[in-house]
Amino acid sequence: MRMTLAVAVLLALLPLGLPPYAMTLLTEALIMGLFAMSLDLMVGYARLISFGHAAAYGLGAYTCGNILLHTDIPLPLAVPMAGVFSGFIGIGIAWVCTQATGVSFSMLTLALAQLLYAVAFKWTSVTGASDGLAGIPRRPGPFGTTYFSTKIGFYYLTMACLFGSFLFARALVRSPFGAVLRGIRENEAKTLSLGYNTRLYKIAVVAASYILGGLAGALYAPFAGFANTELLFWLLSGQVLIMVIVGGTGTLVGPILGAAFFLLVQQQLSTYTDSWALFFGVIFIAFVLFAPEGILGLARRRRSVRSH
Amino acid sequence: MIGLNRRTLLASALASPVVLRHALGDTPIKIGMPVALTGPGGEIGAQMRRGAEFWAKHTNAKGGLLGRPIELVIQDTGGDPAACVRKAQDVVERDGCRLLYGMTYSSEALAVVPKLAEWNAIFMSSVNGDGRLTGSSLVPNFFRANTSGPMGTRAVSLYLRPAAYKGFFAIGMDYAWGHNSIGVFKDEVQRAGKNFIGDVYSPIGTKDFSTYIAKIRQSGADACFIVMQGDDNAAFLSQAKQYRLSDKVQLLTEVVDLNSIAATGEAAVGLIGSSRYSFTFPGEANAEFVEMWKKEYKTVPDTFEGEQWQAGLVLAAGITKAGSIDADKLRPALENIEIDSIKGHVKIRACDHQGEQQGFMVKVVKKEGFDKPIPELISTFAADRVTPGCGKMTYDS
Amino acid sequence: MDVLPFLVTQCLNALSQAALLFFLGCGLTLIFGIMRIVNFAHGAFFMLGAYVGWSAVHWTGNFWVALVAAPILVGGFGAAFELGILRRLYGRDGHAFLMVTFGLTLVMGEAIRLLWGVEALQVQMPVSLSDIVFILDEPFPIYRLFLAGSGVVVAIVIWQFLERTRLGLLIRATSQNAEMVHALGTDVRLVRSAVFGIGCGLAGIGGVFAAPMVTASLGMAPNAVIDTFVIVIIGGMGSFLGSMIGALLVAFVQVFGSYFFPDFAMAFMYLIMLTILVVRPGGLLGKEA
Repeated sequence: MRMTLAVAVLLALLPLGLPPYAMTLLTEALIMGLFAMSLDLMVGYARLISFGHAAAYGLGAYTCGNILLHTDIPLPLAVPMAGVFSGFIGIGIAWVCTQATGVSFSMLTLALAQLLYAVAFKWTSVTGASDGLAGIPRRPGPFGTTYFSTKIGFYYLTMACLFGSFLFARALVRSPFGAVLRGIRENEAKTLSLGYNTRLYKIAVVAASYILGGLAGALYAPFAGFANTELLFWLLSGQVLIMVIVGGTGTLVGPILGAAFFLLVQQQLSTYTDSWALFFGVIFIAFVLFAPEGILGLARRRRSVRSH
Repeated sequence: MIGLNRRTLLASALASPVVLRHALGDTPIKIGMPVALTGPGGEIGAQMRRGAEFWAKHTNAKGGLLGRPIELVIQDTGGDPAACVRKAQDVVERDGCRLLYGMTYSSEALAVVPKLAEWNAIFMSSVNGDGRLTGSSLVPNFFRANTSGPMGTRAVSLYLRPAAYKGFFAIGMDYAWGHNSIGVFKDEVQRAGKNFIGDVYSPIGTKDFSTYIAKIRQSGADACFIVMQGDDNAAFLSQAKQYRLSDKVQLLTEVVDLNSIAATGEAAVGLIGSSRYSFTFPGEANAEFVEMWKKEYKTVPDTFEGEQWQAGLVLAAGITKAGSIDADKLRPALENIEIDSIKGHVKIRACDHQGEQQGFMVKVVKKEGFDKPIPELISTFAADRVTPGCGKMTYDS
Repeated sequence: MDVLPFLVTQCLNALSQAALLFFLGCGLTLIFGIMRIVNFAHGAFFMLGAYVGWSAVHWTGNFWVALVAAPILVGGFGAAFELGILRRLYGRDGHAFLMVTFGLTLVMGEAIRLLWGVEALQVQMPVSLSDIVFILDEPFPIYRLFLAGSGVVVAIVIWQFLERTRLGLLIRATSQNAEMVHALGTDVRLVRSAVFGIGCGLAGIGGVFAAPMVTASLGMAPNAVIDTFVIVIIGGMGSFLGSMIGALLVAFVQVFGSYFFPDFAMAFMYLIMLTILVVRPGGLLGKEA
């Protein structure tokens, strides 16, 4: 708890000393971090490996984008509304996908996300099809305040969403509910035989994951002022899964670090060289070979080496 | 004499940028270019980059603008509008660019323009075709030096008026520019009292066009209008050849560029279309530009290289006139600015920031002295005939 | 155009596309069957095949040389990657393979861009195949007939290889029970290297076949990989016959779907995949996962 507070204070003080460019990057890193953390709820705690988590992100982004474009609902309200909507759809998606387990579950999530992608690609009136939704505004309010439309205000809004979500997710995995999830992760048959309706638990955790993932997408839309089908594409699903793995699954904090790492390295490399993908790819391969437990695992291993 | 001068200019341009910067003062004019260097639009992005680099080098060799050297900040967007917004934001916030000079896809440009006011940056478009950029989506800081999609389409339809074709089909890439240009074409065809049979759109990056080609054949049209560029264009033209589509249907295209011709080989011969720029355009200015280009790159300039150059000339004239790159000073300077470019006279109108310029129709032919087919000019239309009314995408007559 | 010629030519069209998809899907499913890994880089191997094919045609002027050289080189590269990197990762969970093959996709894509440039490259098809035939008075490219035929031939060869040869037997046995094969004294690691190489080589053949039709370009990989996934998932991961059925199904849906319902073709494909998975979670011919 003390650690969380310290990080929160640090992040809250950062805007005082950072140039606008770094602020933008940091905001984006926090959004991605939230997205990766939301997936960790499924992957790390219930071993529900989703290949289609972009669905949550895209749903959140399109919903928030449409709310902001077509209504006067202020930004700080539109974002959670979109998250909740994404969660509702998540229940339906979970209901379908949890009919299967293991690899089949992953494949179902991929199929559903791609189906949403295909629909978004043609549903011009809602999604703008391949052109996307451009010029998504940051509507002022509540009570007429324009604070959240500013760069710093938006950063604090993002930070608040991330910390709120983190506390919620941590409470969730530490609760009896989380204990059942871990039971499912280790041995689903046994948990089932203990009398738990494991499918219901799985649906619940997917829905929670979709709410948080949708929240991240909902923040992205007004952050970039833009949303398009790329936000639903399987490539993003693959990337976020990799962020979770890079950071370390089942840790909540790790995936946030993984996302930040992914984003920063990509951003920095691409400013120095056209061939950033080459180095980025090599980094991934090296990571798997030399840091199998992820960033957090690496940090812990070093700490334990030092303390010995 | 002129030849000698040019050579000395190029020689000094080859000097390292560091030396150059010191010679010209320490605060360069930074110009941001978020372009697609990878993905299906990568070839177009590469052309834009070459055109821009050549322009910057040429301008710096002449002493830069306002005594300051030009520095390009080029970033790869992969052709994704979301990535383009982020990269544009990067070059503005991190590198301090107040000028943007190119974006590859119209969808990328449409995503970026709402942000220009916030960034206080001017965007000079060099290739973006979608008519809405100077129409319903126009923002004060956007300018377009290039031939727009509606203008290219209009040139095609003006050329077609006396022709005997009766039924038209259209195929376009499934994004902003494709839909926009085909919409304009449909309007033009119908107003000419001819039959617009139907249209079909292929997603960006489509590889196999066989069903689309079957559809065009099935339609019974005797001419087909194509709105494609980059890899998609190359793939479509070469498959159209494989199915002998042109035996039955005259192919017309909105953009003829050398790269697609090179990628399709003989398949492109006989293709008729509007050209935004070709090294075969008449005039001394173009001949001189082509010579300079050949010296540097050992080949002739392609469509988007020429368009990028022209956009650079417009931008340079504006900056010189304004004496500043500040958006509030540069904007009025660019409005109504006129230059003589490689495509003839170009005037940026104040009302919708579109560059008024001639429309060109070319036919791809085989010619002595060239190892690949080249576009040959067959018709030219005056600027006031191809440029639409202010803020509009359609034509009245 | 009448209905019959239209149907016949479009079916042939679909068959030629199915052949391409089969080269990809069959390789991916073989690899999954033996190694239980999803090869994200499969599309990149396909693309590499197309580019190597271009170079072979460029240097020798002979398409048939390309057709032999490209799969060998691409397959060899795949086998080398298995020996150098993947081999260290067996025993680790599936995450590691996902990341490594994702990393490889990035590396290969960029390496190809550096080596061959960004322009789409046209591969000259052999003169004997570049003509058209008239099928019920409709022109149809001979090359596509050749492609469809090659798909059938390759399918038979692989099937016979799996059924009749010792390596084929080992592959089937390893996919059933790797420990047993190992216990019987066969080096399972060699079987894995071979299968990864063969799978990548098949993707490479697909690339060479595709290049004269659609040009070799940098956008090939991402499109190919998702279609391949769909095929393999529909057919059942690890099932050879399944990948064949999946390829046919996807090709016919794409061809006729994009003709009659261009707006819904893509959605329809995923809907089919979804339905099959809900009814049979392991895919049409797959084991229950």
